Amino acid sequence: MPHYLNVYQLKWLLLSLAVVLVSHVANLPVWVIAASATFGTWRYCIEKYQWPMPKAWQLLPITLLICIGIIFTFKGFFGRDASLSLLVVMCSLKLLETKTLRDYMLVIVLGYFLVGNLFLFNQTIATFLVSIPPLILLTATLINTSLPTIQSIQFSFKLACQLLLQAVPVMLILFVLFPRIPGPLWGLPQNANNAMSGLGDSLQFGNISNLTKNSAIAFRAQFKGAIPANNQLYWRGPVLWHQKNQNWTMSSAKIGLPLEKLTVQGAPIQYAITLEPHNRLWLLMLDMPTTIPQKAKLTHDYSVLADRPVRTRMRYEATSFNQYQLGTSLSEREKLLSLQINEGENPKTIELVKTWEHLSAADKINAALNLYRQQDFFYTLQPPRLSKNSVDDFLFNTKRGFCEHYATSFVYLMRAASVPARIVTGYQGGEFNPNGNYLIVRQSDAHAWAEVWLQDKGWVRVDPTAAVSPERIEFGISEALSNTDELPIMARKDYPWLKKAYLNWDSVNNGWNQWVLGYDDKKQLDFLKKLTGKGLNLQEMLIWMMAMIVLVMVATSYFLIKQNKTKLNPAQHLYARYLNQLKRTGLEPRSSEAALDFAQRAAAVLPNQKQLIIEIAQRYNALMYSASPKPELLDELAQRIKQLKIKTL
Amino acid sequence: MSVKLWPLIFLKRAWWQQWLRVSKSTQNIALLNARQIYILPTRWGLLYAVMLIALLIGSINYSLSLGFYVTFLLASLGNIAMLHTWRNLVHLQVAVLKANPVFAGDGTDVIFNISDTKNRPRYAITASFLENNHLTQNISANDSQLFPVPLATSKRGLHTLPRLTLNTQFPLNLLHAWAVIENPFQVLVYPKPSDLIEPQALSFDSSTQGGSQLNKGDEDFNGHKNYQFGDSPSRIDWKASSRSIGLFTKLYSGTGSSALWLDWEATIGEKEARISQLTRWVIDAQASQKIYGLKLPNIILQPSNTESHYHQALTALAMLD
Amino acid sequence: MQNTINAIIQAASQVILGKESHIKLSLTCLLAGGHLLIEDLPGMGKTTLAHTLAQVLGLSFRRTQFTSDLLPADIIGVSVFDRNTSNFQFHPGPIFSNVLLADEINRATPKTQSALLEAMEEHQVTVDGNTHLLPSPFFVIATQNPKHHIGTFALPESQLDRFLMRITLGYPDSQSERALLQNKGGRANAQHIQAVCDGETLLKLQQNVSHVHVSDALLDYLQALIQYTRTQFNTGLSPRAGLGLRQCAQAWAMCEGRDFVIPEDIQAVLPSVVTHRLQTDGNINIAKQILDNVAI
Repeated sequence: MPHYLNVYQLKWLLLSLAVVLVSHVANLPVWVIAASATFGTWRYCIEKYQWPMPKAWQLLPITLLICIGIIFTFKGFFGRDASLSLLVVMCSLKLLETKTLRDYMLVIVLGYFLVGNLFLFNQTIATFLVSIPPLILLTATLINTSLPTIQSIQFSFKLACQLLLQAVPVMLILFVLFPRIPGPLWGLPQNANNAMSGLGDSLQFGNISNLTKNSAIAFRAQFKGAIPANNQLYWRGPVLWHQKNQNWTMSSAKIGLPLEKLTVQGAPIQYAITLEPHNRLWLLMLDMPTTIPQKAKLTHDYSVLADRPVRTRMRYEATSFNQYQLGTSLSEREKLLSLQINEGENPKTIELVKTWEHLSAADKINAALNLYRQQDFFYTLQPPRLSKNSVDDFLFNTKRGFCEHYATSFVYLMRAASVPARIVTGYQGGEFNPNGNYLIVRQSDAHAWAEVWLQDKGWVRVDPTAAVSPERIEFGISEALSNTDELPIMARKDYPWLKKAYLNWDSVNNGWNQWVLGYDDKKQLDFLKKLTGKGLNLQEMLIWMMAMIVLVMVATSYFLIKQNKTKLNPAQHLYARYLNQLKRTGLEPRSSEAALDFAQRAAAVLPNQKQLIIEIAQRYNALMYSASPKPELLDELAQRIKQLKIKTL
Repeated sequence: MSVKLWPLIFLKRAWWQQWLRVSKSTQNIALLNARQIYILPTRWGLLYAVMLIALLIGSINYSLSLGFYVTFLLASLGNIAMLHTWRNLVHLQVAVLKANPVFAGDGTDVIFNISDTKNRPRYAITASFLENNHLTQNISANDSQLFPVPLATSKRGLHTLPRLTLNTQFPLNLLHAWAVIENPFQVLVYPKPSDLIEPQALSFDSSTQGGSQLNKGDEDFNGHKNYQFGDSPSRIDWKASSRSIGLFTKLYSGTGSSALWLDWEATIGEKEARISQLTRWVIDAQASQKIYGLKLPNIILQPSNTESHYHQALTALAMLD
Repeated sequence: MQNTINAIIQAASQVILGKESHIKLSLTCLLAGGHLLIEDLPGMGKTTLAHTLAQVLGLSFRRTQFTSDLLPADIIGVSVFDRNTSNFQFHPGPIFSNVLLADEINRATPKTQSALLEAMEEHQVTVDGNTHLLPSPFFVIATQNPKHHIGTFALPESQLDRFLMRITLGYPDSQSERALLQNKGGRANAQHIQAVCDGETLLKLQQNVSHVHVSDALLDYLQALIQYTRTQFNTGLSPRAGLGLRQCAQAWAMCEGRDFVIPEDIQAVLPSVVTHRLQTDGNINIAKQILDNVAI
């Protein structure tokens, strides 16, 4: 016979599922939320107004409709968002036929699963906090299904909290010691990573200025030694060689250019970077990297690429030198590539460059930079649109632009003047967080600069933006722009207190990222190595894990099983002490023996104490049973018990 | 309200039962110790485990640290629930109080008194003999609760109770803990009364004790007492009264009314049929408030009509070899 | 107040020798406003005890010998046609007294018994549609021969419940026995005994009984006792029995000179209050069993 559950249990179920739904509110289309809420309300009305339960044939069209809706919204059943929506709406539809314990348990377990799915969308501290209430409520609902009688709300709520709290130690052990297998086990659904932002592999006007409006963190960098000056913080990303109209792209890997020669001097800069996922290959490094993480590879132009797109936050250590010489010799192919410009474009620029023909390469650079310095070029996030001959338009007409404009126009100028040049994209600068002693680099710090090749010197970094707006390079983007520009609030220089609060919050977040979210197979090994002094292999890890779990469970069961103490009132306390004293003489009251009866018996054994014993029993009785015992009785009792002690000793 | 629990399917098999540690006691009280409690996941527990595996695989695949957190927290919750389920049963004291005698074929409730000895409330405890699950109740801290556990009977006589199973799924319904208790308590099962009523047997047997109903109570002179207002004049002992001051009333003792003898010899058929027939007579005689005696091959019960006499008669019939 | 109680016990003890605790129990029963059943063999002083109590308390006393042909009207009274007034006039039976001694109650027919017991419960009788209130205080002290005598009508359990207490006197100790043989006590002395109390005082004492404090801890104990009987015996104590037990304990506490009840009080009165209400299957130590198995 099926086990039907009562209204009270249903209310708990509906409440906990409602909270699960609320926790997922940002991840679901509106109609799914509305439909789920409707089904839940419907189920409640069935119970409250004794409506009939819908029949299976009535539910079938609804199910079909939902499937069509899902296909229509998500173009199919697959992918993270579609499966979640399907799961949520089916779970709430299941409520409409939920009557027996079997249905309840199914729905609750599904509810737990949905809470786990929260983290597919994001894993911030906020999401972590949001996951707690549904877990407590689902557990409380589960507790209610196991009880034959209705208990108070507090009872199941309290017990659920207790159970979850008691579960925390073993959870921590598992979290730290359960061997982490590097994922993914199979391909990720398409839309798992679509929300990531970062540097693209090509440069167009607007790319970087768009990025600059995003205050999301690109990466955090922690230095072993002193942090280099802001104007040395060029975080190297993709290097762009190829120009086509207004679009600059990387050199094709197929060309197979040889690795440029790098000689370094000065002190190495050692640092660790926690890179936010951006779904691309590049690992940002300070100019110029010498050691790179394992599995990563170095391109010929010293970009560092990971072996697969960065989809999870990753941490790597690297070493760079800021005094270097790169690519002192330039092959013909490289020369060809680094001088390539589209023919027949930007006639004014070509005209201008012709006047520089007699100058040396270094002077050509200066001439170009002077152009930016002396004319009224202006650094802004909102440059006007440019016509087809964009370099002409920018240099001679609008004169307003962002780093990408300066970098591209500069490289164009150089190439037109027969100086090999290329664009480097990446980030520049960063914000120091004193709370964690690390540097925060945001998407708003995205930057583009130029590298020109000079005989004997090799590739030399030239940042034309510095010519227009030295503040950008010295102090960061917030100094370079007027506050009217659309910088994200965190990148601006006003509101110092807000900034301070933000920095505090960011250091918490950084710790969270490093230790909670970033705790992967590598970090696990490192951490255990640090903890134990030597590395643990998989087997040892499992043994340690089991041993610690057993230990915690034994301890927990000890606390669970030990007898609850009954609370004694002061008279009972004194009396218990007195009984303990008498125990030494072998006298012990039976559980059913009243105080006076026991006193009579005790008096027979200890005739010289008779009066005292009887008086103690009388006072104890009066304290325990009279309407309002006189307060002095307690003292009298204590006194007599004390006297007795002296005499027996 | 019964819940079918899959572990019990295994319990029904004899080979499995011999491996069970059973709480046996020579008295009618048993205390469950930690080793006598068994625990297995329920099918919901298995479903929960499958859900956890799905979460774990998802967390590995997407490298979700917080996915691991939820997975491990819920796994640990199941683990803790196991301790709680076990603790809900351990150190319970189970005493058989009584089982009212019953006629074979009828069901009776064996009353168990289950009490907490550790000053903590126990929830959702179910007590049952293996074949039928029943009544789920809570027990307050340091208190006891009566569990009437239904028992089906088929044969007359004194029967030792079958094994009692105590179980609980508190707090999460994910785990099923149980303990098996055996004790020497015996239930008295009266014979099944026959459906036939043979009227001749209900007539008064004049061959024994003989005499009319009328003066039965006047048979033996028992003494005198002072005359009391209301005493029958015919009983005044005038002779004795004349010797002294005041009146005396004669006192007599006797059965006062006629006795009905229910005799083994008066029944026909094989042994069980005879017992069954006699049982029916005893029931009917008691119901019609007759005074009756019982004659069995090995025992004779003197006539009476009290409740205890009734039970004595039925017991004698139940125990007849 | 206490003096009165002591005086009553003192006076009664001069007649009933060596039975002080029984006198106290009987008095407790009367103070608690209940009826008393004395069960013992003939000649153990049942009647003397009843008589003495009535006398000491200064109450009117009637004695009725119960026999099998005793009719309800013989106890309650009859309406007789009065020629002079051409009216039915009610002639009250022996029940219209403060203390009715119902001797050998189990000799009367169930019909008569139930008429008496009904009157005991209601404290009034109804004859020919007229209700007559019984005097106050009103007690029935019934005696009963415990041996299963043929020709008696044992009081059914349901009726026994109406008696607050059942006591058994038992043989006197050797000292009292000798005193009795020396003619120092006994029924003869009962005639000369002085009343130390009256109905008014007794009513006041009865009122005071209800003011004796019963603490929560004690109620727990009381409940545990009642619960125990319900689990151990075919029929446990009724709520009325539980109430009776509390009242008796209160009355006993008052006799002891306390204004609150302690477990010892309950233990003292419990045997007399519960044994006749439980189907015992001949278990005489039933009270001890209960008391030993229930923790305070």
